[in-house]
Amino acid sequence: MSAALKPIPSIQLRVAIHATTPLRRVALSKILAAAGYIVVDAQDAADVVLADGDCAQIEDTPTVVLGSVDRPVSGSLAPGADAHQIDAALRAVAAGLIVRSPAAKEAGFDQLDESDVQGLLTPRELEVLGAIMEGFTNKTIARHLDISLHTVKFHVESVFRKLGVRCRAEAVARALDSKHFRTIKL
Amino acid sequence: MFDPSDLLTQFSIALTQRVTAAKTAVVAIRLPAGGHLSGMLWRADVIVTSDQSLTKRDEFEVVTAGGFTASAKVVGRDPGTNIAAVKLSQPVSSGSIIPGEAQVGALALAIGADANGGARARMGVVNAVEPEWYSSHGGRIDQRIVLDINLGRSEEGGPILDAAGGILGMSTLGPRRQAIVIPTATIERVVPSLLRDGHIARGWLGAALRPVAVPEALGDAAGQSSGLMVMSLSDGGPAATAGSVAGDIILSVDSASTRRMNNITARLGADSIGRKVDLRFIRSGAVTSRQATITERPSP
Repeated sequence: MSAALKPIPSIQLRVAIHATTPLRRVALSKILAAAGYIVVDAQDAADVVLADGDCAQIEDTPTVVLGSVDRPVSGSLAPGADAHQIDAALRAVAAGLIVRSPAAKEAGFDQLDESDVQGLLTPRELEVLGAIMEGFTNKTIARHLDISLHTVKFHVESVFRKLGVRCRAEAVARALDSKHFRTIKL
Repeated sequence: MFDPSDLLTQFSIALTQRVTAAKTAVVAIRLPAGGHLSGMLWRADVIVTSDQSLTKRDEFEVVTAGGFTASAKVVGRDPGTNIAAVKLSQPVSSGSIIPGEAQVGALALAIGADANGGARARMGVVNAVEPEWYSSHGGRIDQRIVLDINLGRSEEGGPILDAAGGILGMSTLGPRRQAIVIPTATIERVVPSLLRDGHIARGWLGAALRPVAVPEALGDAAGQSSGLMVMSLSDGGPAATAGSVAGDIILSVDSASTRRMNNITARLGADSIGRKVDLRFIRSGAVTSRQATITERPSP
């Protein structure tokens, strides 16, 4: 291969996260760290910003927004975009491209969403999932929640079954799907 | 060859007559990001349009039929029913609005605005008519009317006519760009409140809630398999005042089970403000209940 055709060495992008909740921030950080990004604090200089729809601020840094936003941004993804889409969008906007996902664009005025009772987690399962997202082992979770290791395993299995996933990484990715961590303000 | 007795020619003439009659009631609202949105002249000085597609700002330039531009101020918005009311700086002549009746299979005409005061037309049939429904923003909409029409983005917010020229309502883009109609009855109900208060009053519990499964051991006592867990409470809000705490799983508000969001949303209409309701919930493994007084939702 000639020198001119050598791939450009990959640059580690610095990403600032603006998330609606600390838990969501943790989950997004995990995805970014796994994909090789450097996650920086919100006020630090960043190459790209990853923001939830409600948290998007006006700034000059290229921004990928998860969810709807009413002003032009470089990247717009659905709230439940997966790790691959987030990774691709961050690299694209950092390179000066504009990213749109069909799902974000096609979202329109919709009916009230009735929860699918089958997939709902119990409060305990939500706690266990939160701990998985923090990267805790079953042993740590057991100590943390003051329950037996056997019970933790039972809850983890139930979470996996309800989310339709086979491993912890998949569970973290799936948990970012807005449906499972959706809050309703009444 | 023009043959006035030809049925297809007559049909086509009838269509152009409908569009001609309706186009004075259609305006283009120029959006700051470029492009425009359609609006429907509701009164001589009031336009209704699609709230979801109207940029969040107070003033717009509007192009009325014939290409006259005027400035207009947003006077009220209701994300719940997707209706925004915009007031023209000076009134223009408008015809009266005759409500139409939606029937499955009947012809429907969608009229939108072009950028210069002209009309855009599309035709299709009414694909579905269903009873009253609630939007994801909690608004009550009198009928669910779905059209078999591929609506353009800039045409959203214009009127939908039935075959007789009656107005079925305002066009709105639903999920996957499905064209739906916000019925005339809903606009009639919402616009006066928007003009008076700028928003639609809704009942409020002051709690952020997350749908959860009821733990199996409590299923029998709760009598249902899911509920809404309190994640956080607004200080001084009705739920906080009633003594709710984070972690409570609310099972019902009066007789309405939290298993279905429609039930709960229906309980929190404008008429619920000031009403006392029984909140039934799970706390520390037991089902209890408390009374809360619904207040008006503070404006965001």
